[in-house]
Amino acid sequence: MLNRRNAMRGLALTLGVASAGLAGPVAAAMPPLTWTPKALTPDQARLVDVVAELIVPATDTPGARQAGVPQFIDRTLAVWCDQKQGDLLRSGLARMDADARAAHGVPFIALGPRQQADQLAAYDKEAKAAWGQPHFFKSLKELVTIGYFTSEPGATLALRYDPVPGAYRGCIPLSEIGRAWAT
Amino acid sequence: MANLNGRARQENTYDAIVVGSGISGGWAAKELTQKGLKTLVLERGPMVRHLEDYPTAVMDPWQAQYPQGKLPADELKSRYPVQSRTGYTVTEFTKHFFVRDDENPYTEEAPFDWIRSYQVGGRSLTWGRQSYRHSPMDFEANARDGVGVDWPIRYADLAPWYDYVERFVGVSGQNEGLAHMPDGQFQPPMEMNCVEKAFKARIEARFPERRITIGRAAHLTEPTEEQLSLGRTKCQHRNMCMRGCPFGGYFSSNSATLVAAERTGNLRMRPDAIVTSLIYDEAAGKATGVRILDAETGQDEEFYAEVVFLCASALNTAWIMLNSTSSRFPNGFGNGSDQLGRNVMDHHFRVGARAVVDEFSDKYYSGRRPNGIYVPRFRNLGDAATARKDYIRGFGYQGGGGRPGWDRDLTGEGFGAERKAALSQPGPWVMQLGAFGEILPYADNRVTLDHDRKDKYGLPTLSAKVTIRENEKAMRKDMMAAAVEMLEAAGFKNVQAADLGYSPGLGIHEMGTARMGRDPKTSVLNAHNQVHECRNVYVTDGAAMTSASCVNPSLTYMALTARAVDHAVQAKKKGDL
Repeated sequence: MLNRRNAMRGLALTLGVASAGLAGPVAAAMPPLTWTPKALTPDQARLVDVVAELIVPATDTPGARQAGVPQFIDRTLAVWCDQKQGDLLRSGLARMDADARAAHGVPFIALGPRQQADQLAAYDKEAKAAWGQPHFFKSLKELVTIGYFTSEPGATLALRYDPVPGAYRGCIPLSEIGRAWAT
Repeated sequence: MANLNGRARQENTYDAIVVGSGISGGWAAKELTQKGLKTLVLERGPMVRHLEDYPTAVMDPWQAQYPQGKLPADELKSRYPVQSRTGYTVTEFTKHFFVRDDENPYTEEAPFDWIRSYQVGGRSLTWGRQSYRHSPMDFEANARDGVGVDWPIRYADLAPWYDYVERFVGVSGQNEGLAHMPDGQFQPPMEMNCVEKAFKARIEARFPERRITIGRAAHLTEPTEEQLSLGRTKCQHRNMCMRGCPFGGYFSSNSATLVAAERTGNLRMRPDAIVTSLIYDEAAGKATGVRILDAETGQDEEFYAEVVFLCASALNTAWIMLNSTSSRFPNGFGNGSDQLGRNVMDHHFRVGARAVVDEFSDKYYSGRRPNGIYVPRFRNLGDAATARKDYIRGFGYQGGGGRPGWDRDLTGEGFGAERKAALSQPGPWVMQLGAFGEILPYADNRVTLDHDRKDKYGLPTLSAKVTIRENEKAMRKDMMAAAVEMLEAAGFKNVQAADLGYSPGLGIHEMGTARMGRDPKTSVLNAHNQVHECRNVYVTDGAAMTSASCVNPSLTYMALTARAVDHAVQAKKKGDL
């Protein structure tokens, strides 16, 4: 109990130093993880949760969080990525926090939405300049996008999905379908 | 003891043995059993039961374990370094239908992509389903050009058998009345989309010698009573064919020929049976059966029959024959011509062009058509107008129009609501053309047995040395140029040409290793697919092909097989085998 209280005090202190008054919104933005990551640390999982939702936010259709994209990324790291791909993503996540701390004194998830978007935009620019080269933000964006549009909410709500079309109609108004096909 | 041997021998004796259960073996099994012969089918791979053994057939995208079902790089590298070279064959959804390369070694003296499926049904489960007849021009080509040897048959010999197999298979397509791409017994064609229809109209107006047609594909669009009675139904346009079809919408051995064979009561299917050689009776001058190695137990066993059909695929049929030596056949079974394993052909491809179509942006389509458009060969058709000076033979295009979906730009710039909304809409139409060209038979394009490199069963392995030559290289330039020419003529934008390179084998149309011909001195098989030097052995898979044409070959294997079985059964009745 004592340890926990000390830890809380430590956190408050850190945040207080960095930017007074942020502790409230940050705490609100950091609900406990509702799932147990296998490959990510809990801190990395919270970060992925926030970044994924920034890349594919909830709009009139669910966003990455509701579509289970953070869990998808965790599973992909656990069963699919090789050492190199895993290192690229993990070091990228570490860098996001390091950059946020260097600029604002807090981890990425504690930044305001505008600051978060600005930081991602900087990575996006950097990734574009690194044409043909690996860049963690390209990999992350790719995985978030795949995870989202192959999820059930992504495929069936953001896109149109028909497991058994039955027939092919080759030339119909786009308005009749309204969105891109998932498959 | 003698009695037991006699009984054991009797138990292992059939009227006919078929080696392989792919597209050719399935046909041999169906025809032989329906004509009343007790038939044993030996398949080197495991059992795949129609419907029951299609574990991924109805998986939704979100049920995949891996991103888009792509296998991890480590697994591809360690288990599927060859099978993955196509880029589309081994995925989470399909890998169980392809061999593991680490367990099935062969040697590439020159790059050779040997894509294999060892299972009941073979590659009929995973084939591209495009179904075209060889034309009269194709059967005359070698004689006319002085290349290889002359086919011992002509189109008229095979035409009724094409009719016969098309009716059973169920091929959707459009008759076009072209001499160089014969019409067939088609079910209703699939529909072209807006861009393809525009492309067709514009190209045919501009180039009178060119025709744009819908692909002829082995999918049921109007199933017959016979097809329905086998449990097959109409193609549902899911385009997930390589996982096995729960509707029996496309033709495979598993959904069609083997079902028909089973129903006769004359079929015995023996999976996990690797045929290692033919048994030859020197005194009788006949094959008496085959030796197998049980892939599960490692035990050798023998089976006997009056007639043997080799349908193990071009390279593996060659392997069995090369491995069947005797004092009569010291260089391989029926190999007096020394042509066994030679003249390996495929279709060369991965060259063409694509363009963006800035029209029809308010138009789309529904359903996933498991088919594209086809541009029949329009070069070297025998008249001055189509004659080329830089190469002989020709090519056709497979292609199509479509609107790329959400995965068109996974790493592109931007993030957030705007990008999400953009990717939720289809991209601009694109139209692409990919050419498939004829490869000539070259005697030194060959596979040989390597007795020093053994597989896990201690069996010798194949070594392949196959390359394309000047004729194919000159053709590739035209394959690219003509694609660009047509896309530009159609008024499409941003036309991009590409030759992505080609290694033999990648077309997965291996052919020619035991070619048909008129002369036993220069060919392995006669006009009925019998081994010249041993008439109760028939070879009816891709090995039999004397030339490659530029069209997909499976329909021709099927027609040759049905025709050969008819011959074998009549010869057997006459005591002529």
